[in-house]
Amino acid sequence: MPDRKGIYRKKRLDRGIKARADTIYLIASWREIFYLLLPRAFPVGFLLILPAVLHGYWQKVLVFACVYGLLALSWDLLASCGLFSLGQALFFGAGAYLAGGLNYYLHLPPLVTVPAATVGGGLLCAGLLAPVIRLRGVYFAMVTLMFPLLLMRGIETTGVLGGTHGLSALSPFPGETLTAYLAVLAFLACLFLFRRLINSDYGLVLMAIRDDDRAVMSGGINIYWRKTQALFLAGSVGAFAGALMTHHFQFLGMSAFALDYSILPVAAVALGGQGSFAGAALGSMILVPLSESLRALGGLRIALYCIILMVSIVALPEGLFHYLERKYHQFETRAEVE
Amino acid sequence: MIPTLLVYGLVNSVILALYALGFSLTYGISGLANFAHGALYILSGFAAWNLIHHMGIPLLPAALLSVALTGMLGFVFYWVLLLRIRGIALAELVVTFSAGVAILEILTWQGFYGIRYSLPVFLRGGIEVGGVAVDYQRLLVLGTGVVLVILLWLFVHHTRIGLAFRAMAQNERTALSVGIESDWVGSLSLAMGAALAAVAALVVLPLGVMESTIGYEVLIYALAVAIVGGLESTVGMILGSFLIGFGQVAAARFIGAKWMVIVPLAAIVVVLAVRPSGILGRFKELEERV
Amino acid sequence: MKRKACRAGVVFLALLALIVAVSPMEAGASSKEPIVLGVPTSLYTPFGRDGLKAVKLAVEEINAGGGVLVGGQRRPLEVVVADTRGGEPGTPVHDALMAYEKLITEKKPHAIVIGAFRSEVLIASMDLVAKYRIPQLGTIAQTPRFQAKIKKDPEKYKYLFRVTTDALVDASYINRTLDKLKNDFGMNRIYFIYQDTLWAKAFSGLMSKHCKAQGWTQLGFDGYAAGATDFSPALTNAKAGKAQVIGMVWDVPLGAGVFVKQYVAMKVPALLIGFIPPMASPMAVKTVGPEVEYSLSVEFPVGASLPLKKLPKTVEFLNKFKQKYGSLPEAAAVNSSAYDAVFILAEAIERAGSLDPDKLVVELEKTDYRGVSGRIRFNEQHVAVFGHEDPNETGVCVVFQWQKGADGTLRRVPVYPDFLAEGKILLPPWMK
Repeated sequence: MPDRKGIYRKKRLDRGIKARADTIYLIASWREIFYLLLPRAFPVGFLLILPAVLHGYWQKVLVFACVYGLLALSWDLLASCGLFSLGQALFFGAGAYLAGGLNYYLHLPPLVTVPAATVGGGLLCAGLLAPVIRLRGVYFAMVTLMFPLLLMRGIETTGVLGGTHGLSALSPFPGETLTAYLAVLAFLACLFLFRRLINSDYGLVLMAIRDDDRAVMSGGINIYWRKTQALFLAGSVGAFAGALMTHHFQFLGMSAFALDYSILPVAAVALGGQGSFAGAALGSMILVPLSESLRALGGLRIALYCIILMVSIVALPEGLFHYLERKYHQFETRAEVE
Repeated sequence: MIPTLLVYGLVNSVILALYALGFSLTYGISGLANFAHGALYILSGFAAWNLIHHMGIPLLPAALLSVALTGMLGFVFYWVLLLRIRGIALAELVVTFSAGVAILEILTWQGFYGIRYSLPVFLRGGIEVGGVAVDYQRLLVLGTGVVLVILLWLFVHHTRIGLAFRAMAQNERTALSVGIESDWVGSLSLAMGAALAAVAALVVLPLGVMESTIGYEVLIYALAVAIVGGLESTVGMILGSFLIGFGQVAAARFIGAKWMVIVPLAAIVVVLAVRPSGILGRFKELEERV
Repeated sequence: MKRKACRAGVVFLALLALIVAVSPMEAGASSKEPIVLGVPTSLYTPFGRDGLKAVKLAVEEINAGGGVLVGGQRRPLEVVVADTRGGEPGTPVHDALMAYEKLITEKKPHAIVIGAFRSEVLIASMDLVAKYRIPQLGTIAQTPRFQAKIKKDPEKYKYLFRVTTDALVDASYINRTLDKLKNDFGMNRIYFIYQDTLWAKAFSGLMSKHCKAQGWTQLGFDGYAAGATDFSPALTNAKAGKAQVIGMVWDVPLGAGVFVKQYVAMKVPALLIGFIPPMASPMAVKTVGPEVEYSLSVEFPVGASLPLKKLPKTVEFLNKFKQKYGSLPEAAAVNSSAYDAVFILAEAIERAGSLDPDKLVVELEKTDYRGVSGRIRFNEQHVAVFGHEDPNETGVCVVFQWQKGADGTLRRVPVYPDFLAEGKILLPPWMK
């Protein structure tokens, strides 16, 4: 037996506030209420103040972060029912082209085009991807990765909807700060709605499809119909993001289907952590500003960004959010090894 | 007209098959979708270019060296990056993809863009085949495609490592129980996939100029071929590449040249509507478990 | 395991810290209030890369002469660069615009030169430039949509200028050369291949219209996607139809590189004419091979990569370029425009005596500058005027042919317009 004196180990204890489940708490004091509210209220308050404080370029960065956040949330919803998408750009582009097309050709105001694009984009994406939902895993990922890229080619070839030049001089939203608020509010609403949804019965079924689809089927539930519904929800959120960006930049081009819109959301989820939506939100709020501040590095920006992403995933596969959550709910002390 | 269609359709199909061969090999054996495939492809091209132009190595040794280096990179890649996240599909995918993008971005940053970056062909000139002028390099592409497929078949069916590969592809746990090490097979499959990408690059790239965006292109075509043909099936992969390759030439001939790029999309949409798992893919409707 | 994760975390944080530490260093470094020239462009296209080099060359010259006289004080020029990556088809336009806007708001340039590469990005960035009221002298994108948009709202877009040619000018040069081929050699069968983007389509459309009017037989008019990797259908058709000339317009190196190599491999007995970067570049012999001989290309405007004996300014510029950077510019287009743009701007600033954008625009509109690319004046749509007659009246372009010199080396010989020509168009032996 080697001498173990002076060797310490980390001793972790959960705080006693949690009862039975992750979402049910036993609250005994104001301090504990504060303890629970802080991680929720602080980011919300912070995000609500930001559009008023920032302006110009950084306000646009905030809009970008929210847009990527929405795409990441829509990704996470799909993932929670076992659909592993690499084509958020499809949702984004569908929304962008619907809103831009309606505005450019029919001269409808954003007040009409954005909701129309949201619902229409959702339907379109659900319709397009419906044949594929019977397949699992990487297969679905590949198909979704290909779709937007090929649609981009389609627009390039046929020259419809502006072709390679795109459509410009679309109607803007009234005021940039308003747009920023719209983005932030939509982002927060989506985040909390999805968090609520996934803990409801409906969400439980979705997660069960991911965990054990045969069990769900034997319960008499049509899993393909449920998956199509999830696709519609996720598609709508992505399409809203696309419509928002189109009107914000008053421009629409075939790059709305670019790879960036597919990859960045996945990266955000991978960094933030899968399954809780908060992870997706956190990831995008870190990655987008980081990517913008890396612009000073010029050409190496994306390369460095990828390297950071790889390192963080290899070092912390569970994701930042789950790690932080664990740390927040635990005491950690050093105890001597006996 | 018809001979041209046949000859160039064949050449284009084989090029597509070469793009997809390495990707589909790695996926078939270890279930690892290597999204850095395209990046490895173009990286090997630039590696060969550098060996030729900066170190003065002749073409053939430079090509062989570049294939070996790319293979080793694939091997190292597995042990450094993928070992810890093996089995987490999301993490695997993001890591391979971002590694690929990082490679492409670093190449672009280094200034590898423009017409000076062009690999020499192995043989200049060409011949007429049935009234169609073809250059030797395209014939070499054809030959390489055929030889690689035959060699791979022999390797997988008649060598110890190849048999281990197949064992791993068929049933990982049983393979483990007879002493086949999963990580070794995984890393070897990645190395072989990378080396195959490099071989493809060295015969196909001399047909044009090099540019890092080709990396994305190759990945997209490899995926398209795999989706159309079915993911796990090599025969399906070859079928898929013939469908798209001939489809492209025929579209250019009968509809108009600009419709060529639409062919993969159309093929995917049609195949998805008729047989969602690809022409020869196994229909994986539910999660497979043993 | 845990400790490893910690270590990786530390590395991650260290990387972050490094990045944060690096960024302000680049932002700083200023001397006596320089005049800031913003260059937001796609650096990974030969046009952007060499254009930036040309701008830096011009800035160095002006600074060596003391700088630009503003309000009785000589101030140096300073170049700030943002890589928009707008030339790569995979870059979202939004992303390119963010880079543009970041440059504008953080580096606060007094003027912008070069600008976007892809037409799509140029069109989208016009609103941004108009919003921030920064005079911009664009020197790459050739789309005629630029003028159309300015025409729509001249007051809003008055800050935008284009110093270089547009696709219409380039095509008219090719057309005149085609006339020569018809008159001198009796050629009358042509096949068109173009990159399926708007500017190239407009370019080749003009050529096609001209040929039809002049009695050519048009055997084909094929658009190929920018990423095309196989041209065998068109080349076979051209060969089977006995085309004497293949008119080709393409701007990204990728497809053009495949095209010329395939053209050589398939032994199509037709003259190549048009705008094909790999064929026109000074490095063509090395990239494509000796088969470039006899092919004809337009260089727009003059001085982009080919020194012309009859225009000493092009020789002077390209010599300086070669001296500083070791080799000639890679692409036979727009480099000299970037160089000229800086001088045009410097002169306008001196005339205006201020950096106020509105005053500057008024002076820019009055520009009358004799530069490398000829005499530059702007028309009502803020586009530099180009013509065929006289470099002392307008800007000019040149058409050249690869020919074998007396010593057996291949070189580019200007053949049109006549006041720049150093030789006659030669017919290849396999066409006689």
